[in-house]
Amino acid sequence: MRTPAIAALTMAAALVVTGCGRPADNPSAAPQSASTVASGPATGDLTVWAMGAEGEKLPDLVKDFEAANPGVKVTVTAIPWSAAHDKFTTAITAQKTPDIAMIGTTWMGEFAGLGALDPTPAAIDKSAFFPGAWGTTEVGGTSYGIPWYVETRLVYYRTDLAEKAGITTPPTDWDGLKAMAKAMQEKAGSKWGINLQPGGTGSWQSVMPFAWSNGAQLNNGDQWTFDSPQMSEALKYYQSYFTDGLANKSPAPGATVEPTFVDGSEPMFISGPWEMSAVEKVGGKGFADKYSVMPMPVKEKSASFVGGSNLGVFKTTKNRDAAWKLVQWLGQPDVQAKWYGMSTDLPSVTSAWQDPALASDKKLATFGKQLETAVAPPSFATWEQVAAKFDAEIEKVTKTGSDVDTSLKTVQSQATSIGTGS
Amino acid sequence: MSAPTLAATVQLPPAASSPKLPRKRGSHPGEGRAAWILAIPFTLLFLAFTVWPVIQSLFMSFTDTKQKDLRTPFAVNFTGLQNYGRALSDPVFVKAAANTAYFVVVGVPLTLGVALLAAVALDKGITRFRAVYRLGFYTPVITSIVAVAVVWRFLLQPDSGLVNTVLSWVGIAGPNWLGDVQWSMPSLILMATWRNFGTGMIIFLAGLQAVPASLHEAAAIDGASGWQRFWHITFPLLRPTLLFVSVTTAIGYLQFFEEPFVMTQGGPLNSTISLSMYTYNQFGYGNYGLAAAMSYLIFIVIAVVTALQFRLLRENT
Repeated sequence: MRTPAIAALTMAAALVVTGCGRPADNPSAAPQSASTVASGPATGDLTVWAMGAEGEKLPDLVKDFEAANPGVKVTVTAIPWSAAHDKFTTAITAQKTPDIAMIGTTWMGEFAGLGALDPTPAAIDKSAFFPGAWGTTEVGGTSYGIPWYVETRLVYYRTDLAEKAGITTPPTDWDGLKAMAKAMQEKAGSKWGINLQPGGTGSWQSVMPFAWSNGAQLNNGDQWTFDSPQMSEALKYYQSYFTDGLANKSPAPGATVEPTFVDGSEPMFISGPWEMSAVEKVGGKGFADKYSVMPMPVKEKSASFVGGSNLGVFKTTKNRDAAWKLVQWLGQPDVQAKWYGMSTDLPSVTSAWQDPALASDKKLATFGKQLETAVAPPSFATWEQVAAKFDAEIEKVTKTGSDVDTSLKTVQSQATSIGTGS
Repeated sequence: MSAPTLAATVQLPPAASSPKLPRKRGSHPGEGRAAWILAIPFTLLFLAFTVWPVIQSLFMSFTDTKQKDLRTPFAVNFTGLQNYGRALSDPVFVKAAANTAYFVVVGVPLTLGVALLAAVALDKGITRFRAVYRLGFYTPVITSIVAVAVVWRFLLQPDSGLVNTVLSWVGIAGPNWLGDVQWSMPSLILMATWRNFGTGMIIFLAGLQAVPASLHEAAAIDGASGWQRFWHITFPLLRPTLLFVSVTTAIGYLQFFEEPFVMTQGGPLNSTISLSMYTYNQFGYGNYGLAAAMSYLIFIVIAVVTALQFRLLRENT
């Protein structure tokens, strides 16, 4: 027992004396510029990592790319979301990355900070994409990839119950939304006025649309700005739904919104486009006519959260030209529209929304409209950690009714001590 | 006949001890070398996959290692005990420690009690379908926690769950089990007890069946009641079994992770977050130095608790 302990201590001490200490300069912090991509058809082998349903369906889509570029062979590896983050960090550490990967928008800061991603070449036109979505590819002023697909949050509401409550045109501002929730409860007989997430992972995604709509910002350069008056006003507004009894502050863990939306006990909620098929599945035939979506209400402006996934090329790729060509191809409007048909992933390219399949659906078109003003959180490597602290304070504010300004001060000091990871 | 004299008559069977033979050294010149060569594969694997990770993680806990340092794990700054200080001054870590203590202090005795009760019932009371009951009680142990979590979330639903429906039949308005700060931890303790007592039960059952029937017969002839026989014959003989089960259960419970991870994500309001889960979150955020320090703090607590158990439950010989 004693000998290994001494050996361990000696080794640890040796490491401390010899190998330790950070290098003085940090090369990944400086803005980087990309080299150009050669023209001509793509050739060689490419591997792509993609998560979830995208990983399963992407092989069918890239067949078109292989047909257009006879010299290229694309291998898609499907990775489960739950294992993806670990797999990426391991691959980056071991320098065994794929050529291309689907990357969650909140991972961009981390991977770019590790120096793993290749900057986007200038040949890719950033104005073709939704500005909020393009923002998720930028880390420290440099873009690393393109937005592949996007999602944003809207207010879902039951049209039949709204009619009962005497509301025929959806409200457009904060007061209107709250009045509608009240009317749903008082006149339409719903148990709750609206479903809002009372804290827990990702509740900031419901709070921030209100804060952004009020002109608040999460950061100013590399300073966190949680304790602004605009943020405070937005969180107080969010809190008032719980203190006024319009929203359920203690739903059972793991409870989903679809059953209560369908039975009318929660006639409104805020969520993303995937809920359309989810509520229609629970609601059965004809339910699609009983609900609609409306843009996030306006204070100064209407704003929502933009999420989705990006496509990035890794620096360790041996086939950089072909890799960027595939990424560029996946960002073409017609390919994006076709991909929507295969996966129902919403296009990140604005012109793809003119495709009849997207333009003819009124609910989808509302998502398309909201995407124009949707905002992404900063692409700091520490964002998820800060977001968890924010979620915890949101939970305190909604569930215990504690003071909003105290909570925001707590988040601000925690966020400042965590830093921005740069 | 009084109880103390009864206990005094009980003699433990002598432990099978192997007499130590003096080892012969250097009887054959090649023997030592052969032993070393044969031991090398194991030694190398042990050094590479057990000793090295331990050293590395210990080293990490004294540095400011973050996710982005993975490629250059030694180009980090040595920060001394700063990570340990940060962990101990983190209110969520302290809260997680309190939650873990709550879980262990209530959960371990409860699990041991239920396991012993079930084992005694199976040993003495239930003679029919014994194998069926044994299998039934053990099934939760081998069932996937994910499936268990889904079922328990249904059972504990505040409005439509089975538990609250049954409670409402007798006029009790059941709480919002997992959604209420007061009830979330008791719910998890209950679930963990249900899930884990099967292991203890099987081991206790083996221990009970190893108690010689002749001792019971002798005590019964001397007029000892069933309770006296349990308390003065069965229980002392079960002591080593009890030590084993309580140590393994306590170590498992001190590291409890799955229950809050799949049931509550540590909520509501951090009322069910455990030390392991909070440490896991820190690893997830890439704060490797801090998370390693937290891991070693948990390790120290486990070592201390286990040492205490050995002291309290050791054989009084």
